[in-house]
Amino acid sequence: MKVNKNIHIPHLGRVEGHGGIEIDIKDGEPIKVNLDIYEGSRFYEVLVLGKYYYEVPSIISRVCAICSASHTLAAQMAIENAFGVEVSKRTEFLRGLLIHGGMIESHSLHLAALVLPDLLGYDGVLNMAKDYPKEVSIALELKKLGNTLQELIGGRAIHPINALIGGFGKVPTKQELLSLKNSLSKGLEHALILVDLFKTFKISDYAESPTIYAALEPRDKTRYSFLGDYIITSLNERFPKEEFRKICHEGVVKHSHAKQSLYSGKPFMTGALARINLNGEKYLQGKAKEIQEQLLPNLPSQNILHNNTAQMIELIHSIERALQLVDLIINEGLEPEDLAEFEVHAGKGVGALEAPRGTLYHYYEIDDEGKIVEADIVTPTAQNLANCEKDLRVSIENLINEPKEYLEFKLEIVARAYDPCISCAVHLVKLNKS
Amino acid sequence: MNKPKVGIYGLTSCAGDQLVILNCEDELLKIASRLDIIDWVMAQSKNDETTPLDVALVEGVVAQQRDIDLLKKVRNRAKLVIAIGTCACFGGVAAMKNQIPREVMKAEVYGDNIDFIDSVKAQPIGSFIKVDYRLPGCPIEKDQLIQMISSLCMGDLPEILNIPVCMECKMRENACLVVEKGVVCCGSLTVAGCNARCPSHNVPCSGCHGPIEETHYDANVLMFKQAGLTRKDIEQKMSMFSTPAWMQEKLMEEIKDESK
Repeated sequence: MKVNKNIHIPHLGRVEGHGGIEIDIKDGEPIKVNLDIYEGSRFYEVLVLGKYYYEVPSIISRVCAICSASHTLAAQMAIENAFGVEVSKRTEFLRGLLIHGGMIESHSLHLAALVLPDLLGYDGVLNMAKDYPKEVSIALELKKLGNTLQELIGGRAIHPINALIGGFGKVPTKQELLSLKNSLSKGLEHALILVDLFKTFKISDYAESPTIYAALEPRDKTRYSFLGDYIITSLNERFPKEEFRKICHEGVVKHSHAKQSLYSGKPFMTGALARINLNGEKYLQGKAKEIQEQLLPNLPSQNILHNNTAQMIELIHSIERALQLVDLIINEGLEPEDLAEFEVHAGKGVGALEAPRGTLYHYYEIDDEGKIVEADIVTPTAQNLANCEKDLRVSIENLINEPKEYLEFKLEIVARAYDPCISCAVHLVKLNKS
Repeated sequence: MNKPKVGIYGLTSCAGDQLVILNCEDELLKIASRLDIIDWVMAQSKNDETTPLDVALVEGVVAQQRDIDLLKKVRNRAKLVIAIGTCACFGGVAAMKNQIPREVMKAEVYGDNIDFIDSVKAQPIGSFIKVDYRLPGCPIEKDQLIQMISSLCMGDLPEILNIPVCMECKMRENACLVVEKGVVCCGSLTVAGCNARCPSHNVPCSGCHGPIEETHYDANVLMFKQAGLTRKDIEQKMSMFSTPAWMQEKLMEEIKDESK
């Protein structure tokens, strides 16, 4: 019998922002698979036009709360890139620490509060807490660790105020850093308990399909990192971050307030799984390496549900690297330091980093007075939307004969695996009109 | 005592204020046990969309028809509607360029094919419905949130804070950035609650909590003038987070008069 179904999940729960899924199946074929994005538009690229360069990071941070540290740093790095600013070693370490804080917070929030309820059969973390108090309190502790880190380095857990163009407003004291180290060590123990829980889950493969992956190549080619100057892909290509438009060819689609990215006409994936697939075997070290070998021994994986597993591995990596960074920062000394000096002149700059959900690109063109004349922001979720629709299509094909409610649940899980950040996706990139 | 039935909603926003609720790691489970949160899309997938609410917390700015519809539905359901965050209270960053028509913005960002984009001028929720309490901040401060929830559990609302950031800054014994360094700091015009976060990091206040209701206009004008700051400097800095509110401020007029 040929299957006809209309599936409409009007409001995806447990994701950041407002989005839904709409699917029409006719004669057993999915004829329409739309990830609807209906978060309102805030037109950030227009908002920053005419603003002074120094106002941009704190405006653009408001694109998204969960990714606010990533947006702030990407904007600062893009502006520094335009003016040719060199920051101190210590500033680089502090920024690294801030990125790891964001990663720990975001990954643990997603894994524990948004994904774990699916795996254990609850509608949300608050109800799950009644039966799994220990796991939930561990997850909350980890989330808190990420926030403590962002609060200490960024001056605020959401929308950091202490990270500035050229450096930091205030440097933490030795005592604060040592107490952070203590919390990080405890956090590592907690995260390993969560790993043990994740080991018990069997990850389904109904969404598995061939995928192109893209990530930044670690700048320091000795270890896994979220900073880099080259984009690499699973098609064995490598090009400088300044050429990011090559991969993020954005277009408008009717069902969405977010644009979609295609790479040579094909969808691609960025994010934890892309990073682990491209850089994991080569660069992971320590416990993170061990966990990768246990949880994801056969890389690359083409199963989006492994994105959650990849986040788990990165959570361990971020805690381990943050521990190292604390020592490196203390070794650099904690004396107050002036912001890096630079001259304001007309220029263009690109800032790129690996945000929790994938590679984030910021581009600004600045005039002689230091005012923004063009801005372009390409977020990971916008890059992933087309690929997510592809995975939803594959899942429908594999589960076509399942009851509607079951199918809906399984499709929500696929969308959630991307950890979509819908506020980010609807930042709205300026169209390249040429 | 019955637990208050609560709904938590996000209009167009960064979700930062809802995230602050989730960031109350030490208090979250206690909060969940004192409140009956029956509708919260960001945190749970099964939600009750019809039962009347005692309290609705609303984050975000109204930027599309969909937001207006949700807001009116929430107002009809809830005894108390509380605006959380500067977007809901004053418009936030999205309202910064309301002078530019939406059609122009849409064309700029999406190109020619724009009919399907739902977009209205960014406005605080008070432009559409009656608001019972405002908790500003970009994002809101955890301590203030918990204080508010405690009051709600007692069937009350917290007092409205009406002191400037400067007050908290002085309590922390920071050097004044305006007087000592001549930088544009909005502390004297901005409502407190953040414990002078930015000035305590040597970073000037950018007014993210929105305007204080009453301020010493003359003293402010004098201080800014002595520091060599112009109306344009202050207007530019203050217009970032709460344009609609700031623009109505008497202060802007005063500074304008001074510079004549």
